[in-house]
Amino acid sequence: MSQGNAKNHNGPSGGLGAGPGAAANGERGYLAGGLTGLGLLAFAFLPLLLNAFAQNSAPYWLDVINTVGLYTILALSLNVILGFAGMFHMGHAAFFAIGAYSTAILNLDYGWSIMATMPVAAVAAGVVALVLAWPIIHLRGDYLLIVTIGIVEIVRIALTNNVFGLTGGSNGLVGIARPSVFGFRIVQPQHFFYFIWAVVALTLLLFHWLENSRFGRALKFIKEDTIAAENMGVNTSRYKLMAFVVGAAWAGLAGTIFACRMRTISPESFVFSESVLLFTIVILGGKGNQKGVLLGSFLVMGLPEFFRGFEDKRLLVFGAALVVMMIFRPQGLLPSKPSRYKLPEGWDDRLPGPGSPGPPTPGQKP
Amino acid sequence: MQILSLSSVTKTFGGLVAVAGVSCGVDRGAVVGLIGPNGAGKTTVFNLITGSIKPDDGHIFFSGHSIKGLRPHRIVALGIARTFQTIRLFQGLSALENVLSGCHCRMRSGLIASLLRLPGQRREERLVIDRAMGELEFVGLAGLWRATAGSLPYGDQRRLEIARALATEPKLLILDEPAGGMNEQETLELRELIGSIRKRGITVLLIEHDMGFVMSVCDRVLVMENGILIAQGTPQEIQTNPKVIEAYLGLDDDD
Ligand SMILES: Nc1ncnc2c1ncn2[C@@H]1O[C@H](COP(=O)(O)OP(=O)(O)OP(=O)(O)O)[C@@H](O)[C@H]1O
Ligand SMILES: [Mg+2]
Repeated sequence: MSQGNAKNHNGPSGGLGAGPGAAANGERGYLAGGLTGLGLLAFAFLPLLLNAFAQNSAPYWLDVINTVGLYTILALSLNVILGFAGMFHMGHAAFFAIGAYSTAILNLDYGWSIMATMPVAAVAAGVVALVLAWPIIHLRGDYLLIVTIGIVEIVRIALTNNVFGLTGGSNGLVGIARPSVFGFRIVQPQHFFYFIWAVVALTLLLFHWLENSRFGRALKFIKEDTIAAENMGVNTSRYKLMAFVVGAAWAGLAGTIFACRMRTISPESFVFSESVLLFTIVILGGKGNQKGVLLGSFLVMGLPEFFRGFEDKRLLVFGAALVVMMIFRPQGLLPSKPSRYKLPEGWDDRLPGPGSPGPPTPGQKP
Repeated sequence: MQILSLSSVTKTFGGLVAVAGVSCGVDRGAVVGLIGPNGAGKTTVFNLITGSIKPDDGHIFFSGHSIKGLRPHRIVALGIARTFQTIRLFQGLSALENVLSGCHCRMRSGLIASLLRLPGQRREERLVIDRAMGELEFVGLAGLWRATAGSLPYGDQRRLEIARALATEPKLLILDEPAGGMNEQETLELRELIGSIRKRGITVLLIEHDMGFVMSVCDRVLVMENGILIAQGTPQEIQTNPKVIEAYLGLDDDD
C-alpha cells in the first residue's frame, strides 16, 4: 500500500474534511424529528379532526387530501424515472391509464376483486412501458420528452377508439367495484384516506430503499454522467429501461386505486395535461427528493383548492409561481441531497485526523 | 504472455484517419506507455479498447476474448478499467459514491433485493463500502470519503478517478494522462501509486506527455504519430530511436 499518499491532503484540501456544527445538527435533528412525529400523528387523525371541526366540508376536504395522496403516489413513481434516472418523461398518464383500465376491465368483464387486479394492473403498465420504451430509451433529454408525449396520445386515442372492444370508447367504463382490504370494504372518503396514504407511506419506504441501493446508485450515476457510468461498468440502457418499467408499473398500481375510487373512468382522465401536472410536481418539489415530491403534490394538487373563489385567476397565479420558481430555484423546493453512508466497523479509527470528518461540501453545479 | 493485443485496428472520423492499422500488444503485468504528439490518436486507441467507439477495421483481443464491438460495461466486466484525459468523475457525488460506481459491476443485488432491502443486499452493501473505502485508502483519499468529487483539488480528483477504476477489479488499467495538471510532488506520488498498482498484479497502459515520467515508470513504450504506430520498445530504445526523435521528441519542447 502506498502510505506516502495518505499524508497529502492535510495541505490545500484540509478544509474540506473538517467542519464544525455536528452537535448543533444533532439537536436540530431531534427537534425536527419531534415536530415531524407530531405532524404525522395529527395527519393520521385527520378524518376525525375534520369531522370534529369542519363537519359540513369534511368529505370535500378529505377528497382533496385523497387526490393529493393519489398524485403523490403517481409523482413518486415518475420520480424514479425523472428524478432518480434523470430521464425526461412526460407521458406518465399513459401508464396510469393502463393500470386503471386493466382494473376496470378485469373487474367489470371478468368479475375479479379490485385487490386481485392490482398486481395485474402494475404488470400490464410495466409490460407496455417495456415495449414502448425499448426503442426510445437511448434518446436524450428533449427527444425523449417529445416521444413520451406521443405515448400518452397514442394510449388516449386507443382508449377513445375502443380498442379490442374493451375500453368503452369515449364514454369509458362505469360501475367499477369498491376494494376490500383484509375483509374491510373501502367505500367512504375516510376509508380511502387510510388506504391511499398507507400506499403513499409504502411507496416512500420502498423507493427510499431503492434509491439507496446498487440499483438507485446506478440511476444516479446515469443521471450525473451516462458515459462515465457506462465506462465504469453500469449497463446504462438496461438500467434506464428498468427504471422506466418500475415507474410505469407503480403508476399502473395507482391506476387501480383511481379506478375503484372514481368507479367511472374515461379517456378524459388521462390526457396530456395530467402528465404535465405530474411532471410539474416532480420538478417543482425537487426531482430526486421524495420529500420534495410530497411537498410538490400538496402545492400543485392541494393549494389551488384554497383559491377556488378566484377560479379563472387560479391558473394564472399558479403559472406565475412556477415561472418565478424556475428562475430563482431551478433545482426545486427541496433539491436532492447526497446520500448518507455509514462506514463499516473499524473505519472511523483508521481514518487520519481526530474524529470523523465534518459534513460533506455540497456539490455546487452551475 | 500478452493480456491485450490489437491487430490492424483502424478508425476514421469523416475523412480523418485517427488510427491507421495499429497492431501492438501489452504484456501481462507490465506498465506500458503510449506516447505521441497532440492529435496522434492515442486517446482514440483507448476509446477503441474500452468500447467507447467501435473500430472500422481490425481486431482487439483481451485475455483471449475478442472484445471488438462490445459495449463499454461488458468490457469493464471482463477486466479493463479506465480514467479519462479530462476528468470525468461524478462531480456532485461523494468520493465514496464515485468509488462505489466502480464496484457496481462486481455486485449482484438486483431490483427486488434493492426495493425490499433484503438481508443479502444489506450484507453486500456493507462489504462493498468496506472495499470502496479500501480503494480510497489505497490512493490516499480515505479521509475525504464524504467530500464531493467536484470540490477536491485537481490532483486528488485524478487519484479518485484511479480509485474508482480500481474498484472494478481490473486486470488491465488504462490511464489517459494521469499526471496531467499535477504538480511535481503529486507526480512523484503518482509514480509510487503506479508502482503499488503493479504490485497488485494489475497491468497498466498509460498515455503521458511527461517524458521523464514515462521513461521512469514504463517497461515498454509505444509511439504514435498521425494515427500510425511508428515505434515500440524499452524506454532506452525509444529514447535513441531516430524516427522517434525526429517525429516526436524533436517537436516537443516540454521535455
Ligand atoms: N469523436 C471524434 N470525432 C471526430 N474526430 C475525432 C474524434 N475523436 C478524436 N478525433 C480526432 O482524431 C485525432 C486523434 O485524436 P486523439 O484524441 O486520439 O489524439 P491524442 O493523441 O489523444 O491527442 P492529445 O495528446 O491531444 O490528447 C484528432 O485529430 C482528433 O481531432
Ligand atoms: Mg488524448
